[in-house]
Amino acid sequence: MARRPTRALLLGALFLLAVGLVAGWSLSAWALWQTEVPDGLDPLTVPDSEILSPDLLDEARSYETFLRVLFLVSLVVVIVALALYARFGGRFVRESAAGRIGTGMLLGMLGLAFLWIVDIPFGLAALWWERRHDVSELDYGTWLAENWLALGGEFLFVCLALLVVMGLAGPLRDWWWIPGGAVFVALALLFTFVSPYLLPAQVDAPPDVVAETRSLAEEQDVGEIDVRVADVDSYESPNAAAAGLGPTRRIVVWDTLLESFGDDEVRVVLAHEVGHHSREHLWKSVAWYALFAFPGAFLIAWTTRRRGGMREPTAVPLALLVFVALQTVALPAQNAITRNLEAEADWVALETTEDPDAARDLFAGFSEQGLIDPSPPTWAYALMETHPAIAERIAMAEAWELRAGR
Amino acid sequence: MAAVEPHPIRLVVEDDLARSRLTVFFRLLLAIPHLIWITLWTIAMVLIAIVNWFAVLLTGRLPGGLHDFTAAYVRYTTHLNAYLYLAANPYPGFLGTPGSYPIDARIEEPERQSRWKTAFRIFLALPALLLMTTLVGAGGGGGGGGGGGGTTGDTDFGSEAAWGAGGTASAVFVAAILAWFAILARGYAPVGLRDLAAYGLRYAAQTFGYVLLLTDRYPNVDPREPPATQPTPEKPVRLRVEDDLRRSRLTVFFRLLLAIPHFVWLFLWGIAVFLALIVGWFATLATGRLPDALHRFFSAYLRYEIHVFAFVLLVANPFPGFTGTPGSYPVDVEIGPREPQNRWKTLFRLFLAIPAALLNSALSGPLYVAAFLGWFASLALARMPESLRNLGAYVLRYSAQFYAYLYLLTDSYPYSGPAEYVEPEVALEPVPTWPDAPPEPSF
Ligand SMILES: [Zn+2]
Repeated sequence: MARRPTRALLLGALFLLAVGLVAGWSLSAWALWQTEVPDGLDPLTVPDSEILSPDLLDEARSYETFLRVLFLVSLVVVIVALALYARFGGRFVRESAAGRIGTGMLLGMLGLAFLWIVDIPFGLAALWWERRHDVSELDYGTWLAENWLALGGEFLFVCLALLVVMGLAGPLRDWWWIPGGAVFVALALLFTFVSPYLLPAQVDAPPDVVAETRSLAEEQDVGEIDVRVADVDSYESPNAAAAGLGPTRRIVVWDTLLESFGDDEVRVVLAHEVGHHSREHLWKSVAWYALFAFPGAFLIAWTTRRRGGMREPTAVPLALLVFVALQTVALPAQNAITRNLEAEADWVALETTEDPDAARDLFAGFSEQGLIDPSPPTWAYALMETHPAIAERIAMAEAWELRAGR
Repeated sequence: MAAVEPHPIRLVVEDDLARSRLTVFFRLLLAIPHLIWITLWTIAMVLIAIVNWFAVLLTGRLPGGLHDFTAAYVRYTTHLNAYLYLAANPYPGFLGTPGSYPIDARIEEPERQSRWKTAFRIFLALPALLLMTTLVGAGGGGGGGGGGGGTTGDTDFGSEAAWGAGGTASAVFVAAILAWFAILARGYAPVGLRDLAAYGLRYAAQTFGYVLLLTDRYPNVDPREPPATQPTPEKPVRLRVEDDLRRSRLTVFFRLLLAIPHFVWLFLWGIAVFLALIVGWFATLATGRLPDALHRFFSAYLRYEIHVFAFVLLVANPFPGFTGTPGSYPVDVEIGPREPQNRWKTLFRLFLAIPAALLNSALSGPLYVAAFLGWFASLALARMPESLRNLGAYVLRYSAQFYAYLYLLTDSYPYSGPAEYVEPEVALEPVPTWPDAPPEPSF
């Protein structure tokens, strides 16, 4: 008789805990979402025809449409392939003489190998299309070799992840996801911290770029920020990145950017990247990662219970499927989050440089050189775009100009 | 391995390991007349080989006269190479007479040959030539240095296919250099090095027989042939092979990448082993025995190393574990119990290990080539050819013994002979036993 109240109490406590967790999650997400971009910024629309010439616009649209369709088809194929692997992958246990964790690693790596094979035709098709439009000059052999090496990197990564998960699942059973999530967040933090050293071959930046970065950093009130130039292949699209945390903070500018844009445009890019640092976007990214890592780990632990949980190697193929499926489902949200941060960096750059014309030229130049559709269709925008659309970015520059009353 | 027709080219070893120090010291100079003669003969042989090719293509077999000429050439190169590689003692004759030399190639009468295999012979021979290059050497340049002449016998044919030889010394060449020093010191050839040379010469004779159209049987790289003439010395470190030759195509295709976590772990664990080795060396020097905990630690690492190598080089199929647990892998190292060790051998272990290190690295050439060829074969057949697997197992056995010696697990020197001892009555050709064979000829 005494059991009933206890049980009800327990359920009540669990319910309260769940509500608390959801509330805490939402509150954190709301806090992370806040940016300096003013609300109610005039929703200007910039016609695409003002950004690209009609011919280029047509080319950019047809170019991107093909890649988008390819992306969708490959996404479907990847999920189907993973579903098959989740169903049959357990058979490869007999190819292992290793223990529990080692066998799990083998199954994880074979799953990625399987995906790699399935994805090859899509990668080749995309490369063919990019070469056709002079967006890439990579030859097929190099592409394949680089892809092969990248697979090696993925193998290393999945082995590390499985070592953490399966190592914890040994003693903790289905509760591995709590310390596991913490370990992954710590690894993400570590990775962000060392990421400046993982970017492509870097050389010293020219003095004027260094001086410009210093003055921008001063203006945005952040400490010293290192700036380097990445020595990339001549056909790579102009780009730049902000990386590192605290003492490792760094900005890396692709040499193709310095070659194809004038000083004013480069200044906008530098201000944008300094903005990522001054508004703590890298910390925020790690925080967002944490908000997704724990529920994700929980869902993997929950869905693999029927196969004995993550302590069993045979659960790995299923876990891989769940992981990729969750990632796909979270893709629109993740893209919205990065777009939100990118918009803030754009805004900060406008506030610091006070040069909307340069921003406009810069974005139009991106669009032209990378054959980027200035306003992609909504579904592609949600699934694929990590940055605001070119039209949006130019619209923001014009909105800033209006506000500044010029 | 029943019911397989013996290869029509076999090696007969009647060498007693006794060597004359004087002729060994001057062997290269003494061989000068032979080197001139083989050059002339080789030029003639190239022309005859072309005639052979047309003859077999047209008639389906090699006519008697051409067969005799070619067989004599193959025998002669075998005699001469045995002399140069110190695999036999007496000065060879110039005619390649059958049975005239303690290391002799026995070549059977001509048989029908497949026309297809004849038409594409030189291309079909490429894998065998590649293996032979790393095992025996490909030509004058292959060995490099003073002993380079040691491979002259094959110059003209070898150099046509010498791609890939790339400046590394062949295994048999390194064995000959080591044997040279050993013989000058002791007056007889170490049996392991002699058997390694015999194995290489047998493979070379079969490869030449194949290229020169004596036979259409493919050369067999299985190191169990010719069988050892003496019992293999008991060693505390042995390789146990329980592999069933089956290979999974998917894991074969991605094998190198799948091994990446193992390489990382091998490296990290290796750092600890290196530091522990310094401690172990002092302890063994002081107490005469490796401490038990270190013996277990190094043994596990050694087993793990061999498991990983066996996996990567396709000597076995499954993905290995990370702990080097005994008996956990089809290719496993059995390591004897901890024993008292000679303090002198411990003190100078690093220097004493140099010859074995040279041979170990020379043997990695054939090992990698076997893995490379085995990769294609396993993808095609889902099976590793037994001869390639056995070659790999032989080299891994030598490596295991070498590393055991280096890691202070034993002071017993690695044994270089490739073949397991087979009782003479089981052998195809009864081989006379030499009552005066020197004692304990292990090297
Ligand atoms: Zn940005």
